[in-house]
Amino acid sequence: MRNDLSLSEVLRQQGVSRRGFLKFCAATASMLALGPGMAPVIAAALEKARRPSVIWLSFQECTGCTESLTRSHSPSVEGLIFDAISLDYHHTLQAAAGTAAEAAREAAMQANPDGYLVVVDGSIPLGNPGYSTIAGVSNVDMLREVAAGATAIVAVGTCAAFGGLPHAAPNPTGAVSVSDIIKDKPIINVPGCPPIPVVITGVLAHFLVFGQLPELDGLGRPMAFFGHNIHDRCYRRPFYEQGKFAETFDDEGARQGWCLYKLGCKGPVTYNACATAKWNQGTSFPIQSGHGCLGCSQPDFWDQGGFYHALSAGTSTSGVGLGVAAVAGAALGAASALGTRSSQHEARREVEQIVNSQPAAAGCARGGEQGKK
Amino acid sequence: MTLLEFARGPALQWSTIILVLGLILRIAGAWLLAHDKDYSRPRVDAAWRGGLRAVFSRFWPHQPFVRQTWFHILAGYVLHVGLFVVVFLYAPHIAFIRDLTGLNWPGLPANLVLFVGALTAASLVAFFVRRLVHPVMRTISTLDDYLSNLITLAPLVTGILAYAHFGGRYETLLAIHLLSVSLLFVWIPLSKLAHVITFIPSRFQLGAWLGRRGVKA
Amino acid sequence: MAVDEKDFQMFREGTQQLASMAPPSTMPDERRVEVAKTTMLAKLTADMAFELESCVHCGQCAEACHFYQATHDAKYTPIRKLDLLKRVYRREQAPLRWLHRLYTPDVTIDDLHEWQELVYDSCTECGRCFMVCPMGINIAAMVNVNRQAFANAELMPAELRALEMEQGSGYSLFGMGPEQVEGFLTHLRDSGVNVRMNESGVDYLLLTSVVEIMIFRDALLATIRVLEHLGLSWTIHCEGYEAANFGMLSGVEAVQKVAGDRVVRAVKASGAKTVLVPECGHAYPSLRWDQANLDARGQDFEVLTVSEFLGREVEAGRLKLRPIGKGKKVTFHDPCKLGRHSGVFHEPRVVLEALGVDFREVESSQELNWCCGGGAGVFLLNRASGLRQGAWTIKQQQLDATGADSVVLSCASCRLNFMNGARAAHWDKGIESLVELAAAQLAD
Repeated sequence: MRNDLSLSEVLRQQGVSRRGFLKFCAATASMLALGPGMAPVIAAALEKARRPSVIWLSFQECTGCTESLTRSHSPSVEGLIFDAISLDYHHTLQAAAGTAAEAAREAAMQANPDGYLVVVDGSIPLGNPGYSTIAGVSNVDMLREVAAGATAIVAVGTCAAFGGLPHAAPNPTGAVSVSDIIKDKPIINVPGCPPIPVVITGVLAHFLVFGQLPELDGLGRPMAFFGHNIHDRCYRRPFYEQGKFAETFDDEGARQGWCLYKLGCKGPVTYNACATAKWNQGTSFPIQSGHGCLGCSQPDFWDQGGFYHALSAGTSTSGVGLGVAAVAGAALGAASALGTRSSQHEARREVEQIVNSQPAAAGCARGGEQGKK
Repeated sequence: MTLLEFARGPALQWSTIILVLGLILRIAGAWLLAHDKDYSRPRVDAAWRGGLRAVFSRFWPHQPFVRQTWFHILAGYVLHVGLFVVVFLYAPHIAFIRDLTGLNWPGLPANLVLFVGALTAASLVAFFVRRLVHPVMRTISTLDDYLSNLITLAPLVTGILAYAHFGGRYETLLAIHLLSVSLLFVWIPLSKLAHVITFIPSRFQLGAWLGRRGVKA
Repeated sequence: MAVDEKDFQMFREGTQQLASMAPPSTMPDERRVEVAKTTMLAKLTADMAFELESCVHCGQCAEACHFYQATHDAKYTPIRKLDLLKRVYRREQAPLRWLHRLYTPDVTIDDLHEWQELVYDSCTECGRCFMVCPMGINIAAMVNVNRQAFANAELMPAELRALEMEQGSGYSLFGMGPEQVEGFLTHLRDSGVNVRMNESGVDYLLLTSVVEIMIFRDALLATIRVLEHLGLSWTIHCEGYEAANFGMLSGVEAVQKVAGDRVVRAVKASGAKTVLVPECGHAYPSLRWDQANLDARGQDFEVLTVSEFLGREVEAGRLKLRPIGKGKKVTFHDPCKLGRHSGVFHEPRVVLEALGVDFREVESSQELNWCCGGGAGVFLLNRASGLRQGAWTIKQQQLDATGADSVVLSCASCRLNFMNGARAAHWDKGIESLVELAAAQLAD
């Protein structure tokens, strides 16, 4: 495929109609929280946009992010946009293998001295570089090398964005996120395990249209997709307000579709577009399928005290710990009382002496023995 | 570690440990002091019945005191019933207790709890003001009283804010709420708030003392 | 049956001289503080610890206290009277004493001087406060611990010091010694009253009190008349005839013990199975509840107060009374030490019912009755007269609200204080003794 074709030309070659393309632009505008008036702007920009070169680096990952993107959305417009970018290097998807594959990466970097887009999925092990290498090159070295010439980096998936599962305690590989290593490049985090495909395409679209990063939150996530928590947009929210909760996965509440808070749903502290964008072409999302949100787009979501622990429960509290505390309290209380009772014993002896020294006579009123007692 | 992770993790863990340890320490430390045997002849045997009676009867004052203590009855009931409702009948709080004890029971609608929480907070403010203006309360009040009031108020206010998503992102508000709860947990055994448990032996002993003498406490 | 105004006047004047009769105490201040603290430490029990742990400073006890209600001075808030005890507990015994010590000031001699008024003048240990306390704090009992601490530190008011020393060192009280008492009893016998003295093998040991002999002689006579009427075997014994216990009131344990021991010896000497306590409030709990513990040997005799005795005899059908009739509207004052502290509520009402009078309960009666304001020795304290009168006003309003023409009493201390209060307030209702009323209506 030629790199100098514009996006719209590529799409038309792929058989995407003008109408379908505009629909995508409108949907993208809405998803990015732009006004409807922005749809033509997006369309115009995308029509003119040149296919950027994209280098996709996969480190400590499970390929779930790629699977999510490629499987669930082909042959949608969002899927096709990947045809619209020049995906010059991607382990899983490229035809080339071994030395040829690495050569493709080198070539892409050299062919785009003005910059290219880097997409990373997977975390980077710092504990021992040998944990994850590609063609004998450690992940951290490859990331540094490729990032040097990048315009921007998109960290796709929670592993790349925050360390993800490999980062979970006790983090045996010393896994870190992209932003832990690269400090001098714009980084967009698109977390999720996996991320919602339309979120990735939306972010790419935004980048293509405006040539710059979208507005990001404190965790480097695009506000347009990660601006609201799941809880606020959840269709089960009214049950939360009414105090109607599923207590188990097979109770009446669960069947009635009540709130999953008590089953450990992390919706209230999870920022993602699941409840609105949904998955599988808008079919459903985890809560709708009856399982609480795991909080997969949040940092350290593996280490929040268990997926089935309610958010309001402590993550380190335990009945056993409190039992031990109770025993310790009783022991300390006993020690305290024993300590003070010995001094009280002293005090009682002293008071007895005082009382005995108080003048008090006993004896019969009729002149019996009257004297000090 | 984020603020919320700290609040849900070490903060709650240690504050609950201090709560339990401290309360048991205070009860055991007092209980194991001298129990002087009473050699006098009881008027009524089984004085413990009087003790048990007093534990419950003192939830409401004797009739002649009702008019004089109306403020304490009103504000006290709003405060204590309110706290009971908020602590024990709000689903996320039930989930907290269930996690620790395995016990579970149904809760109330969130809006109702929110309303009760607001009333409860208002009763604490009322107590605070009365403590400042009523000569008797002002005279016998210590720093403990004012701090206990505010530290009890804090989880109510932060809880309401967290529920309403007002003043910050939810996880931040939730973290602050949990931290204020942790502070309360630590404060209870160190302060007069230990009366949450000591009221029982305290009432019991007067009821038993009087009961032994044939007087209803 | 009336009290001789002259006797009462003389007694009043006598009590006003009491303070001047107390020998000065020479205990150094440091020693006073030490002794007071040691005493508090010695007396604190687990029960008190729980109570001191539980106070939430709600201040409702003030609502129940006649001295606070009379003055509306917050310093008289009952729980505040325990501040020193609380501080000693917190610093020395509380489980969190290591923490409390950081901010709880130690007790000083100035504190003791300031609190003297609070634990003596402004507290009759009536216990109405513990009836309102939502935590069930027995403030009255702990004020008594304070009194013991103050007494050991020789910091009790001069009037009580004079009396406890008089009672402790000899047999006399208010200047009335055994000779005077015996002389009076002999005089009674000569005038035809069957006074039994120093007999043994009897069922009842009758106690009296110099206050009875000096002022309320009719009450003593009435008691004797009832005993004789019932044909009971009884005696007054020289080993121990005095019911009053100024050791208890002032907090001097040695004297409390000695005064109690005298009664115990009289019980042994007379072989009595029952001690009959005259109409004297504090004497009853002193013998009924405290004595067994001072002895630590238990008690093998029964203690009854006159009203209790009368009620039982009426209920048992042994004592028949001629009804006075509904024309007589009376109310009854439950003395704190007999009622709230000792559970004698039912028996006096049985007697009043047998008397067939129009009996009217006060509002807030029995265990919630308002104290007359003169108990626990407060009646004797000159400087407490203002407080007393204020408290009496509450009492008076409570009595007036019943519409009764007279109030019936079963406690001489109350009676003295009622008479005093009534005189100052020009209150013209009757103040009567229960045993006198009953003795006048003995039926064959």
